[in-house]
Amino acid sequence: MRVTVISPEAAVFDGEADAVVATAFDGELGILANHAPLMTVLGSGLLTVRAGGVARRFRVQGGFLQVVKNSVRILAEHVQGDADAAK
Amino acid sequence: MATNRALKGRIRSINNTRKITRTMELVATSKLKRAQDRVTAARPFAQALTEVIADLATPDLASQFPLLRTPAKPRDGGPAAAVVILITSNRGLAGGFNSNLIKEARRRIDVLTAEGYHVDLIGVGKKGIGFFRYIGRKFRSERTDIGDRPTPDHAASVVDDLTKDFAEGRIGVVDLVQSKFISVLNSPPTTVRVLPIAAPAKARGGMRPDYILSPDAATLLDALLPLYVRNTMYRGLVETVAAEQAARRTAMKNATDNAGDLLEALKRTYNRQRQAQITQEIAELVGGAAAQQG
Repeated sequence: MRVTVISPEAAVFDGEADAVVATAFDGELGILANHAPLMTVLGSGLLTVRAGGVARRFRVQGGFLQVVKNSVRILAEHVQGDADAAK
Repeated sequence: MATNRALKGRIRSINNTRKITRTMELVATSKLKRAQDRVTAARPFAQALTEVIADLATPDLASQFPLLRTPAKPRDGGPAAAVVILITSNRGLAGGFNSNLIKEARRRIDVLTAEGYHVDLIGVGKKGIGFFRYIGRKFRSERTDIGDRPTPDHAASVVDDLTKDFAEGRIGVVDLVQSKFISVLNSPPTTVRVLPIAAPAKARGGMRPDYILSPDAATLLDALLPLYVRNTMYRGLVETVAAEQAARRTAMKNATDNAGDLLEALKRTYNRQRQAQITQEIAELVGGAAAQQG
């Protein structure tokens, strides 16, 4: 599934991934391929995007997450990429 | 006719001016590049946000949200205050850039005043603030700390108070006067309505996907609408910075070209005079020698 992480300033991540773990307003939320359409508000916490055994982590605050037609879109107010987590 | 020495002085001074304008042109070009990148980078967020709000907002839901509702005009008992946010640059030497924005703002103020509003101004950037202070207008707030690199936090700090005041019915309209950065050569001043939010029309036809909404559409919209307002402001700031650099580059390029033309004309006059002087001196010498021999 396709995952995009967007902050107001730039698109932070855009690519294929196997799983996404986000911190929603009420707790952690895991999303795998072919998830049903979903929209939720994000809290502040970690966002993990796993693709083929490597994980990229972002610190995310505010915004929301949308799943539609097997693509996940995360719009966050503040994103801090953890650059050395994995490439 | 100016003397040779005076001409030489002018040539030197114009040469120096040209060096300065040329440098400013180069600086503006590199800043423009970066500003342009930021405008492009801000697009996906705005687009995604618009789409999602369009997906969520149904007409009956929209009527529940103060941010989406158009309040009554002051004449019909609505709030009497309106706010115009004017973005200008902190620095000049950008051709008509700032004065065009100021003109647009004055037009906007006139329109709102004619509708019966009492208009409050928010100034971002020294140039616009300077002008309205000069004509004796008070500002609701003045911001000169937002420079070449506006951040979403800057935008939030300008607009969050207004969102609250609007939601609570103290303000009827918030307009933003900015430059719309269409391309480097085309960035006209425009007015963008920040509040009430014009509910984004559903662009894509067909049914909206049957979302699992968590918590529910109303809460989601409640979180998203302020984001949308901030984003409108952020884009305004970013686009205006890009437009400023583009305007400055054009202005400085023209100045450099003009200095070049002037230099050429002056150099020609200078050389002609120098030549004339030498010819005259030779003639005098020849004349003198002939007189001695004679």
